[in-house]
Amino acid sequence: MGRHLSATLKRAEEPLALGLVGAVLIVASLLPFVFLVVGLVRAPAELSAGMALLGSREPWFVFLRSVVSALAVALASVLVGVPLGLLLGCTDVRGRKAALILHAFPMFLPPFLLALGWFFLFGKSGLWGSEHSSSALFSLGGSVAVEALVFTPIITSLVALALQRIDPSLVEAARVAARPGRVATRILLPLAWPAAALGALVVFALSLSELGVPMFLRVRAYTAAVFARLGAVQYAPGEALVLTLPMLIVSLALLAMERRLIGPRSFAVLGLRAGEATVLPLGKWRPLGTIVAWAVALATLVPLVGLAWRARTGIAALQDWIGSGLQNSIVPAAIAATLLIGIAVVLGRAIALGRAGATALDALMVLAFVTPAAVLGVGLIGVWNRPATQTIYGSLAIIVIGFVARYAVLPTRTFAIAVAQASPHLEESARVQGAWFLRRLLRIVVPLHARAIAAAWLLAFVSCLRDLETTILFYPAGSAPLTVRIITLEANGPEPVVAALALVHVLVVAAALVAGALALRLRRAA
Amino acid sequence: MRRSHAVLAAALLVSAPGCKRAQREVVVYTSVDQPFAEPIFRDFEKRSGIRLRAVFDTEETKSTGVLNRLIAEAQRPQADVFWSGDPVRPFILAKRGLLEPYASPAAASIPAQFKSADGLWTGAAARAKILLVNTQRVAPSEMPRSIRDLANPRWKGQGAMANPVFGTTTMYVAALFTVWGDDRARAFLEQVKANGTRIASSNGEVRRLVAAGEVAFGLTDTDDAHQALLEKAPVQVVYPDQDDLGTLVMPNAVVLIKGGPHPAEARALLDHLVAPEVEKRMVETAGHIPLRRETAAVPTAPGPSSFQTMHVDYARVADEIAKIEPWLRQWAGI
Repeated sequence: MGRHLSATLKRAEEPLALGLVGAVLIVASLLPFVFLVVGLVRAPAELSAGMALLGSREPWFVFLRSVVSALAVALASVLVGVPLGLLLGCTDVRGRKAALILHAFPMFLPPFLLALGWFFLFGKSGLWGSEHSSSALFSLGGSVAVEALVFTPIITSLVALALQRIDPSLVEAARVAARPGRVATRILLPLAWPAAALGALVVFALSLSELGVPMFLRVRAYTAAVFARLGAVQYAPGEALVLTLPMLIVSLALLAMERRLIGPRSFAVLGLRAGEATVLPLGKWRPLGTIVAWAVALATLVPLVGLAWRARTGIAALQDWIGSGLQNSIVPAAIAATLLIGIAVVLGRAIALGRAGATALDALMVLAFVTPAAVLGVGLIGVWNRPATQTIYGSLAIIVIGFVARYAVLPTRTFAIAVAQASPHLEESARVQGAWFLRRLLRIVVPLHARAIAAAWLLAFVSCLRDLETTILFYPAGSAPLTVRIITLEANGPEPVVAALALVHVLVVAAALVAGALALRLRRAA
Repeated sequence: MRRSHAVLAAALLVSAPGCKRAQREVVVYTSVDQPFAEPIFRDFEKRSGIRLRAVFDTEETKSTGVLNRLIAEAQRPQADVFWSGDPVRPFILAKRGLLEPYASPAAASIPAQFKSADGLWTGAAARAKILLVNTQRVAPSEMPRSIRDLANPRWKGQGAMANPVFGTTTMYVAALFTVWGDDRARAFLEQVKANGTRIASSNGEVRRLVAAGEVAFGLTDTDDAHQALLEKAPVQVVYPDQDDLGTLVMPNAVVLIKGGPHPAEARALLDHLVAPEVEKRMVETAGHIPLRRETAAVPTAPGPSSFQTMHVDYARVADEIAKIEPWLRQWAGI
């Protein structure tokens, strides 16, 4: 009897583990939406008001404007990111790895921080500022440019990493008969298109849901209109939820497009493919290619110059203003990233292997990621601010839950692709030999993908660190994360101190990435 | 074993702020600017030995962000005290039955019009809605003198005001509705829009626009004007409508939240926030207007007895805000 039960339990390990992960995601990500929908049903006036609003022209005008703006950001990012990814991913440009790393770094920072950096440079009283530069920055064009520079590294990195995975013999063969330019346009770019297309979708989704940059640059955006339903006098979370419907429809369309066009080739994972990368020699164009690649790559770092310049006189006052902001950022981000890895290993594998229910959970994660964070935040308050859950709601634990709800998709997708790209034979052999799910997971899947797990943890950690919109609505009193502290001080606090706080954030992210890269390198060496 | 210790340590670390401790504490939500509020909080902690935990507003949602968090948390209040940057938001909370009356003895010398008789709210230093004018763009003889200048074709495209959906500008616009009536106030705002007035995201942004000379003048608050003057920007403060309407005075208001987790500490904090020393500090550091006659004013923000104030009933203004808010959102296009 006991042996029978044990065998049954072991057989059920995988569905149980997936069920547990599903339960966590349902509690963290789905319940807040359910709370809002139930509230909406109970308050038909809000539903009618929201629907009436959607029936008018104005919100659609703002929505269309936001969609066009996001398209412009995605297009600009593709136009810059694809050629740059090609140069840095598979040519003999000098120092291309270093250039790619430096170029990619700002994508791990909160976009509004970079907008702040541009303001310190090109605002009227900025380092290189004038009335004209200020007007250009505080405009729709300025907002598109700032966001494009923030998000271009996503495309560059995906394209470069995808090209590094191409079989070098393919390029070698092509080079026998064709010039480098022809090899690039006829062989490399077509092979890199799934990465570029995925990057464009991600950039579009991120730009459409971005709140900090348009708000800071005073540009009308649909996310700000949704936020206004939560930050105006008439507190109307139901209306805000109704207003998110067009965004959710667009998100679902993007998800469908991603599934149809790109499938499981979505994400590249650092270092999955061992061996030599493709190198396409530029010949006499190498010096020019190097200059152009480095110049474009470093453009994303320019706003950091603005932050550093403005922070010069603020660093001395840092200890008066930083409070516990650093701790409040790092601790929940690290805990959330660790929890997210648990989810990613179980769910990512299930997605890669096409297990039942995994696709639905994947869709839930995507929706939680692209829904305006303020809406998710109100739902989280409704779910967790109850007598029985005060220990959670009144502590940093609520921030951890918010991070899990919003960012589960990032490490999970990363790990899913790692599993999809690896051979399933090892795990299959173990299964045939009688190893049950948990044993296979801990003894084969985790060690086999240790580097992918480390990379996914790092991605989750820095994503949580850069968060502003999710936590600003419900961070526990006295426990404001650093990003929230920067934004609440931004308007009336001393500018040098705000810049210095932003610089601290930049340094923390840089330190985390350097430590992570070293750990990955050590693991590879081992 | 080691792993279980790590998990335990992580759990303790995360739940630390929520744990009940021997140390007394109080939670305050505030829409008063963080650079001014935080030193006052630190001072309170030093004097009382009570640990203070605060939630601040962002500039863009000033006065409404934390207000809405208070409403969202109404079933289980997390805050003990709300220190509002204006006197009307507390009425929105009062209407929802979220306030606990408390007549602080420390507020005895505050004039009656700046506190409620039933102790629901207590004023503590004030701001006024003024016109900030760029002196490089406007000659002394041509200074705008009235809020109506925002709609005057003479100033087409040269004025600015903050988005009236947020912050103290909501209160100002609602006050206009109570004084002028709906039709006149709506017509005025439509004229303001048609006149090309820049709608900034916040009063701080109006200050920046005027100081930078991007607009000739703007409607903003005295504390923003004070900041511009401290930065030696080429600006001058005009108290508008001294011949008729008067200038709106907006005292900060401190209220106790009903059912807040630390009622005794909340009273101690309220006593501190309405005390003469804090008023003096807000006057000197934040350019606020003193409510007490005995508190010395700074030149940029003279006491309310030195200019003509707009006569408004703050409770009525609060009602008006709720009434006009949908229209205002439409007007602002959000």
